[in-house]
Amino acid sequence: MQERKLLVTLRSLCEHHIQFVLVGGLAAVLNGAPIHTYDIDLVYSREPSNVARLSNVLREVNGYQLDLHTTIGQGLSYSDLLSLSDEMAISEEIRVRVLNLETLISIKERLGSEKDVAVLPILRQTLRESKKKSSI
Amino acid sequence: MRYAGAVVDSSVNPADPAPLPDYSEDGVDLSLIRWTLSLIPLERLQFLEDRINDILAIRELNART
Repeated sequence: MQERKLLVTLRSLCEHHIQFVLVGGLAAVLNGAPIHTYDIDLVYSREPSNVARLSNVLREVNGYQLDLHTTIGQGLSYSDLLSLSDEMAISEEIRVRVLNLETLISIKERLGSEKDVAVLPILRQTLRESKKKSSI
Repeated sequence: MRYAGAVVDSSVNPADPAPLPDYSEDGVDLSLIRWTLSLIPLERLQFLEDRINDILAIRELNART
């Protein structure tokens, strides 16, 4: 069986008490979008102790590719994203903050790269279906 | 974990309003989205990782031949 590198990486981030918000493709997946992504994009807090803990994780974990950001979109930092994200329980040990779909869509609309534009229809429909499901 | 196509809802009454479309007007597979929304977050991650591992295995196999 192939190793579950994605969960190993997320668990390590949680065990080391890293303050971060998942963004990008993985945020879309966790919000229910049926897309693929090959890495973990996250925005982390630049608070010095958090940066030190994150360095330890990067040294120790041989897992999924991590793409680290201090801001996304138009300069949204970790503290900006807290109110634009929700906490999700992946397992008993893994609870992560995940950027909400509305904000993810808004950022991709503004970025406008071909890759971002290509995935927008799926994200918009996922948001629509998610709202329908919540209203039932 | 596999997606096996559009989910048939046996509780749907034929007399009810039109069933939900499987595709949006711009071609997005809505039945697939409804399926991924039915999964818990852990299952969504596992489905993603399984698909990525499949893709990487196929690429590696093709690289050898």
